[in-house]
Amino acid sequence: MITVYKKKPSPNDLELVTLNDIFFNKSTATRMDDRAKEIIAKIDQSEMLSPYAIASRFDGMKLNIDKLSTGCKTALNILYNPDKVFDIRECGDNALDVIYALPSGNVYCDYPLISFDMDKVMVRDDRSVREVESYEALKEWWAQ
Amino acid sequence: MKIKPVVLDRIQTRHTSFEVDFILENNITFIVGDSGTGKSAVFSFLQEMAAEDKRIRCLNYLDQKRNYRNTIRQSRGKLIIIDNADILLDDAMRWYIATDGQNQYIIIGRNPTGLMLKQNEIMELSSQTYDGKTRFELMHSF
Repeated sequence: MITVYKKKPSPNDLELVTLNDIFFNKSTATRMDDRAKEIIAKIDQSEMLSPYAIASRFDGMKLNIDKLSTGCKTALNILYNPDKVFDIRECGDNALDVIYALPSGNVYCDYPLISFDMDKVMVRDDRSVREVESYEALKEWWAQ
Repeated sequence: MKIKPVVLDRIQTRHTSFEVDFILENNITFIVGDSGTGKSAVFSFLQEMAAEDKRIRCLNYLDQKRNYRNTIRQSRGKLIIIDNADILLDDAMRWYIATDGQNQYIIIGRNPTGLMLKQNEIMELSSQTYDGKTRFELMHSF
């Protein structure tokens, strides 16, 4: 399950990535494998043709992987980089559904941004790290 | 805060097989929607349009370190198109934009907080692909 931060991690903790597009283009894109296919299909409704190419959802044209949406890139950043925390403010609802279902990873947002389909997440703040099991409980934690 | 557009009430452009045709009803048009629906693609088409139309200025995450706040504050009579607004616009800039009657805005993001928008000022992209061509328009989100 993913870990949710509502405050920016301290410099001694994990690195926070805010510009998901740039991080993806420079780092995550070089490490894509079959795990990315399902995420790209779910969020961007695109087929991954090769490690660096997708088919456009609009006209089927072959595109460089840098044309993925920011939400899709964010989900992939989280999946492939469990040692970093990623800002999810730019993610659409469809990307949030995928992110909240990832087996691991770290996300940050300073206001509630929750998938309606969420199951369990870890939440982390100044005081503790604990498990939260419902949409309502997570929203309440964010509001505290 | 609902006022009529001060620069353009319609924006149309073409990029190869992609066509953009936006009717702009208000001075601030906030575009939301799922990831992957073409918002940033449309932004890139409008960036291209801005190269030929001096009334249009485009800003996105690449401008984060380029004093984009001053670019906005010093603009007069411009249609300012902002992608990645959730990253670029802090509370102060949102307040400035909400009360700026001299420029018009198209803002692409997720969170319209602080812009004093009514529900019918929040739009989504609608796209239709036919005969190899894709046309993007705006529709009300609510």
